[in-house]
Amino acid sequence: MRLLAVTVSIGAALLVMTAAPSYAAGGDAIFKKSCTGCHYTDGPAKEKTIADQLAKKGPELWYAGSKFQKDWLAAWLQNPKPIRPLKYNSLTDKNPGDHPKLSAGDAAAVTDFLMGLKSPEVKAGVIKPNESAQARNIFGKKAPCGGCHEYPVKGEVHGGKSGPSLVGASKRLNPDWVYAYLTNIKAFKPVRGMPDFASVLNKKDLASVAAYVAAFE
Amino acid sequence: MLRFLIVTATVLGLALSAVGSAQAADSKQVYDFYCAQCHGTDGKGRGINVTKDFATDPRNLTSSSEMEKRSDEDLRGVIKDGGPSISKSALMPPWGATLTTDEVEGLVKYIRKLCDCKGK
Repeated sequence: MRLLAVTVSIGAALLVMTAAPSYAAGGDAIFKKSCTGCHYTDGPAKEKTIADQLAKKGPELWYAGSKFQKDWLAAWLQNPKPIRPLKYNSLTDKNPGDHPKLSAGDAAAVTDFLMGLKSPEVKAGVIKPNESAQARNIFGKKAPCGGCHEYPVKGEVHGGKSGPSLVGASKRLNPDWVYAYLTNIKAFKPVRGMPDFASVLNKKDLASVAAYVAAFE
Repeated sequence: MLRFLIVTATVLGLALSAVGSAQAADSKQVYDFYCAQCHGTDGKGRGINVTKDFATDPRNLTSSSEMEKRSDEDLRGVIKDGGPSISKSALMPPWGATLTTDEVEGLVKYIRKLCDCKGK
C-alpha cells in the first residue's frame, strides 16, 4: 500500500514537472517586475473589443516561445531596436525606440521564461524558409502584405508602416508560427488591424507565404 | 394626457438620438482602427501606409463625385471581399472574416458621411 502511495506521488510530481515550463532561475520574476506593465503572458488572448486592444501598451507575449527564435530574442532584449515603424497602437506617432534594455544575464533568464510560453496552435517542423515565385506573387499582388508591412528588397526597406516590419523575419520569427498565425489569426490576435487571409487563400498558398516571409533577411 | 405623450415622445427621441450617436462613435472607432491606416483618419486616402511602394492611391472617401458612383451594396462588397470584387486593387483587402455585419453596415454609413453623398 505504501509502495503504491509512493509510486503515485512520484508519478504526480513527474507529471507536474513535465507539464510546467522550466525557466532559468528568476526569468519569470524579472519579467513580472519589469515587463508586465506593457505585456501579458497568461493566454489565451484576452482582447474582445477594439477598446481592449487600444488599451494595451505592447504586444501580448503568451505565445512568445512559439513566435520568436531564441537567439534573436536574447540579443534583442539586450539591444532592442524598433520592430514596428510606429508606436504601438498608433497610426501617427513614430516608434520612439525606447524599449528598456536588459543586462545579458537578465536577458538570458527572461528569454528562457518567454521561450517556455508555447501555443498549441503552432505545429513544429511544418514550414521551411523558401522564396517561391508563387509566394512572391501572393505577397506582392494577390494579397499584398507589403501594403502594411515593411519588407526587404536587395538590402533596401520597402512597404507600409502600420504593421510590424518583416525585415529580418528569418532571424526573428519561427516559420511555423508565421504559418499558424496566417491560418488561424484569431487564436493569436482576435482584434487586430490585419485581415484574416485564411478566408481567401488556401493552406498551400498560406504555407508558401509563411515560407517566403521566413526567408526575409 | 397630452403632456404625458409629449414628455414620453421627448424622452424616446432623446434616447434614440443617444443610441444614434453611440453607433456613430463606434463606426468612427471601427473606421479609425481598420481603414485609416490606408484611407487616412480624414478619409482622403493618404494613410500612413501610402508610401512610394503603394501601387495605387487608396480611394479618397471624401470625394462625393467618386463615391456617388458606388452603391451601398458596392461598398459592402468591397469592405467584405476586397478591391478585386469590383475589379479594383487587391491592396484593399477582404475584411469579411474580420468585421461583423453591424460593423460593415456602420462603416457604410460612416463612409457616406465622409463623402456627404448617397450611392447610385
